[in-house]
Amino acid sequence: MPEPVLSIRSLAVTFPGADAPLRAVRGVDLDVHEGEVLGIVGESGSGKSVTALAAAALLPESAQVSGTITLAGQSVLGAPADTLRRMRGNDIGVVFQDPSTTLNPLLPIGRQITEGEIAHGRLSQRDAPARAVALLCEVDIADPSSRASQYPHQFSGGMRQRAVIAMAMAGRPRLIIADEPTTALDVTVQAQVLDLLARRQKETGAAVVLITHDLGVVAEVAHRVAVMYAGRIVETGTVREIFSHPRHPYTAALLRSAPRIDATGGRLDPIPGQPPNPGALPPGCSFRPRCAIGGDRALCAEQEPPLRPLAPGRAAACHFADEVRPPAQAASVAAQPAEPEPTRAAAPLLEVENLVVHFPIRAGLLRRVVRTVRAVDGVSLRLAAGETLGLVGESGCGKTTTGRTIMGLVPATAGRVVFDGKAISGLDRMALRPVRRRMQYVFQDPYSSLNPMLNVGDAVAEPLRIHGLYDEMGGARWIAQLFDVVGLPASAAHRLPREFSGGQKQRIGIARALALKPKLLILDEPVASLDVSIQAQIVNLLQDLQRELGLAYLFIAHDLSIVKHVSDRVAVMYLGRIVEESDKRTLYDAPTHPYTQALLSAVPAPDVSEAAGRRRIILEGEIPNPAAPPPGCHFHPRCFRASALCVREAPNFARHGDSETRVACHHAGPLEPDAPLRHAMGAAP
Amino acid sequence: MIAFVLRRLAQLLPVLLGASALIFAMMYAVPGGPVGVLVGENATAEQIEAVTKQFGLDRPIIVQYGDWLLRALGGDLGLSLHSREPVLKLITERLPATLQLAALATVIGLALGIPIALGSALAQGSWLDRALSGWSALALGVPTFWVGILLILLFAVELRLLPAASGYVPFWSDPVQAVRNTILPALTLGLYVSGIFARFLRGSLIGELNSDYVRTARSKGLKERTIVVRHVMRNALLPFITIVGIALAGFIGGTVVTESVFTYPGLGRLVIQAISTRDYPLIQGAILVILLIYVLINLAVDVLYVYIDPRIDFQ
Repeated sequence: MPEPVLSIRSLAVTFPGADAPLRAVRGVDLDVHEGEVLGIVGESGSGKSVTALAAAALLPESAQVSGTITLAGQSVLGAPADTLRRMRGNDIGVVFQDPSTTLNPLLPIGRQITEGEIAHGRLSQRDAPARAVALLCEVDIADPSSRASQYPHQFSGGMRQRAVIAMAMAGRPRLIIADEPTTALDVTVQAQVLDLLARRQKETGAAVVLITHDLGVVAEVAHRVAVMYAGRIVETGTVREIFSHPRHPYTAALLRSAPRIDATGGRLDPIPGQPPNPGALPPGCSFRPRCAIGGDRALCAEQEPPLRPLAPGRAAACHFADEVRPPAQAASVAAQPAEPEPTRAAAPLLEVENLVVHFPIRAGLLRRVVRTVRAVDGVSLRLAAGETLGLVGESGCGKTTTGRTIMGLVPATAGRVVFDGKAISGLDRMALRPVRRRMQYVFQDPYSSLNPMLNVGDAVAEPLRIHGLYDEMGGARWIAQLFDVVGLPASAAHRLPREFSGGQKQRIGIARALALKPKLLILDEPVASLDVSIQAQIVNLLQDLQRELGLAYLFIAHDLSIVKHVSDRVAVMYLGRIVEESDKRTLYDAPTHPYTQALLSAVPAPDVSEAAGRRRIILEGEIPNPAAPPPGCHFHPRCFRASALCVREAPNFARHGDSETRVACHHAGPLEPDAPLRHAMGAAP
Repeated sequence: MIAFVLRRLAQLLPVLLGASALIFAMMYAVPGGPVGVLVGENATAEQIEAVTKQFGLDRPIIVQYGDWLLRALGGDLGLSLHSREPVLKLITERLPATLQLAALATVIGLALGIPIALGSALAQGSWLDRALSGWSALALGVPTFWVGILLILLFAVELRLLPAASGYVPFWSDPVQAVRNTILPALTLGLYVSGIFARFLRGSLIGELNSDYVRTARSKGLKERTIVVRHVMRNALLPFITIVGIALAGFIGGTVVTESVFTYPGLGRLVIQAISTRDYPLIQGAILVILLIYVLINLAVDVLYVYIDPRIDFQ
């Protein structure tokens, strides 16, 4: 076997912590070979990014690092700064998570992607502009010569990440570290970027370390997988082995807990508890408190299991690796009979008709309206009591604005909102008050949606006080009950938000929304910022609450798998309009709108056998600017079925044949197995 | 860019108009009103009537204001009650001295503040950082009159290098004498703002040094020096420019103490004299001019922003 490009032995990284040192990485061994893609999977705080950053010697100075890291035959730890500098860009390139912050906003893109090669003396200042154009060309940026002189804010998110990839690969490094490279991107753009990353990896033969929390992305791209938990690798193997026969209970539990787009209903199987604090690890096996098989065994409590080889290239750190159940089997155990269809009340609880929300852009001395952002451009929805409607779409499609407008947080430009038999659009604040009692909002980011200075009991009680109902509804007793309902101890009420984890904060957000006993919850990406294992806990909680309290949910999300899991019906939004709406099963099994079809095919599924056989639709381009939407059908510039008619005329949102589905497409219909999937009308603008 | 400047100026018109109305209204707020200001406390009824007639003070206030504003725009700010000289002339005599002092003080503040900020931000948490941060605190904490007196004692009395009382020598007529005369008050003020500059820029630099794009720049293998100069400095300077603009504007008319210590003939002392002699036309004129300079400095800051930050355009 040839020398690995990257070889890490006994890596340990410790950061100084407030109370105890934070042991972020505790003894990691790994090898990555030329042409290989190693996926490192783990939840936040598992040490996956720290491990990778250590390889590039990019950790902050406060980190205490021990062990050995050999990159392209050279030792990284203890190497002089000059050597490290030469290795970066030459031997190793890094693609970071958030392309909106990884580029310097004040320098042109072209300059940023070439300055590495200039610094290494491989490129002259004179040749740099031409080189920048060539590099942008390699990552499929249209019109590279004018793009090279533009600044990051003139690039879309996906284009920025392409530029970052071009930058990381400019020096043809032997190792690429991609740290959550698509987490900040939309699913159709994620598909493009993963495609590009895989292509460039093949072209350059570089080794890649792909760090991600998304099992689907790993299944799609990686050859080999290392699963990390609490600072250690707990399992390694080929992608196929890991996904079909996990040998560590954490891997198995992770696979079980994620909702899958190819699964039907049932209940999620979350991992109980939460990842341990790297400053206070439990004794023995650090997964024991959450483990389904170790549980109360003495051995697990006493000894941290070493990473034991099970077969060539296969290892697991579990005392009882033989007892781990594969996920398929587990799924059949966990699956429950499909839930009964919700009984539809005669009149819907919420009815939205032709909702329009336009935001004017003003400019000039007189603040004239120069353009209009058409955030929501004619949306119609119906939601019955006790039902969940999933509203799904990519960023900028208007799904959040729709939710906020229904809630009355944003004024509607036109259209009607009828809630509980009463038209509420255009009501003033006072008139909206009693309506708001029955309709509550749960925000995406549990970290910033709670006032840090207010103890969480008061935060939950606040809606009651605002409506003057605190005593009427039972005061402290009701608050304690609410905490119990969302699975938190009543004693938690006196603590401040910072003492809670993300999942717990979201429970508090839900308790606050439930305080007034609403009939409808508008859930705006309620689990998007949570780890996979925690997501499942919150999703289950929401489903239990819905059953017990008969709540209706408007579930706004970009994650198609979760939307499928929780919804009765699903509406797909694109650039301010609903393009397709149907009951869940019809929409996911027989989508008729090309955008829905592309969206569904772009979701990476955590299943290797499927990933291998599936036909992907990779849409070109990104969602256009809602201030200047394309004429006709908004989707036509990216559509693989677009015709001249689509450019001329916007399609009506109407029933498709005699099915449940309503769709807005001139060419709606099932996906033909051999139809061309690339855009038929030339490159997207 | 010219359109941008004109547009910004047009946007500032309401501000200037409102401020000028307030300045005009000041005359009516003082005891005895504008007539009392003109005739003094022991005037007879005839004198009052004569002055009221002579200055048109019996007209409606809005007309008086319009008249006053028009004349102010034409450069006629009235006569000083004290010296009977035109207010504009008194101010323009002092203004160059003030501008020269303000400019030199700002340059000194930057020359001290930027290296201090860089030194402490790049060695964050080290003894150097603590020492330099201590220096900033000292520069801010010690009163300027005390620093001024110390400087006089050292350079004028002990070393006999520089004059103790500073006169105004225009820089373009005799640069050496100009600097010799302005350096001590400028140093006093410069030391003080260097503390503000260093503190603010240090925070700004540390924020930028920890940002993602710096990590990206390191991952490319750039030299630390290049990273600081090319990437960090530009970003950190953006918010810093605003602070420098505010400090510079503050030096116009706001340096009375230092001017007094060095008997420097600046605008600040003129204003104080005007206030102590209740020379209202002079106070009005001075406030108007200082306000105008404030506005212009802020405009210059806005233009600089557009030059440095491509995300903002001349719209």
